[in-house]
Amino acid sequence: MLGKCFSIICIISFVFGIFNGDMKLLGDSILQGATKSVNIIISIIGFMALWNGVMEVLRDCGFISKLSRLLRPVLKHIFPRAFKSGEGCEEITACVSAGVLGLSNATTPLALSAIDKMNKGRNSNKATNDMITLCILGCACFNLVPTTVISMRLSQGASITYEIIVPVWICSLACMLIGIILCKLIGKINGDT
Amino acid sequence: MEILEKISYFVIPTILTLVALVILFGKKSYFNSFLTGAKNGIKSAVSLLPTMCALIVAVSMFTASGACRIISDFLSPAFDFIGIPKEIFPLILTRPISGSASLATYGEILSTYGPDSFPSLCASVILASTDTFIYIICVYFSMTKITKTRHAMPVALFVSVFSIFLSCILCRLFF
Repeated sequence: MLGKCFSIICIISFVFGIFNGDMKLLGDSILQGATKSVNIIISIIGFMALWNGVMEVLRDCGFISKLSRLLRPVLKHIFPRAFKSGEGCEEITACVSAGVLGLSNATTPLALSAIDKMNKGRNSNKATNDMITLCILGCACFNLVPTTVISMRLSQGASITYEIIVPVWICSLACMLIGIILCKLIGKINGDT
Repeated sequence: MEILEKISYFVIPTILTLVALVILFGKKSYFNSFLTGAKNGIKSAVSLLPTMCALIVAVSMFTASGACRIISDFLSPAFDFIGIPKEIFPLILTRPISGSASLATYGEILSTYGPDSFPSLCASVILASTDTFIYIICVYFSMTKITKTRHAMPVALFVSVFSIFLSCILCRLFF
């Protein structure tokens, strides 16, 4: 998928480059692009190390499982079937708490095992409403600390850095709520599988 | 709104101090967990590099060849009409598919237009608020035998389009 994107963009650029006649600029951009990718990674590496370390401590001392327990009463209404049967509800709470803290590395394996558990004993190839809601929460989750964005802005010398958190809170919360509401509405209209 | 802004300064230092207290008073040696986590963070940042390298080269070729300018000029009346800066068009294209590709286009937007410009601010909010929905839906259902994802795609698409609009509106209001 990405390989195809890469090839298509390169070929289009080459063709456009020929028509625009500036091949030197195109050649320079390739070399500069390769250097720039290293610069971007270096600019986020420190913050990613720090933040992953911080989150590892919070996970080890049980803070994240406490947060999961806090979220449970709310999630019970969002994932009614999973919490009724108990299959996968542990993973769902852990996945959503990890999502709120911006641990995207941790959310994917948790979501996978949650969906796997919810699928146990079913013979259908259709997703249930709860699985779809979990997917939507994976796509648009309330983001408490947008670490990557802040560290990239800081490294580029931005003067608006932490202030970006407020619109991110509003936007991500709104997206999450709309996603959940839409899932619930469509789920109600179409029924469950 | 100003109170929220004040709170935003507190978030990262507060979490860090909380962790410092845990390390100081915890029964286990929590500093070791910090080090393990930090090591994993470095690993995952470095593991992004190969993809990032290819994609940033592609994106900067696309910009340098003039293709990006021609396409965004072509789209600009439509983008102006709906109130979205045309400069973030590459991000809108890559955001649903790949995290590293959208990070690459985001870095390109920041360095081309300056991090405090309106397009960069919109791009920041979009990048932080939604995730790579096409990729996520593919991965989440890849382990199980589920092939019919029903309303997952349409809802995710709606939410991410909504996030683009809302981000631009919020950036106009705040900055």
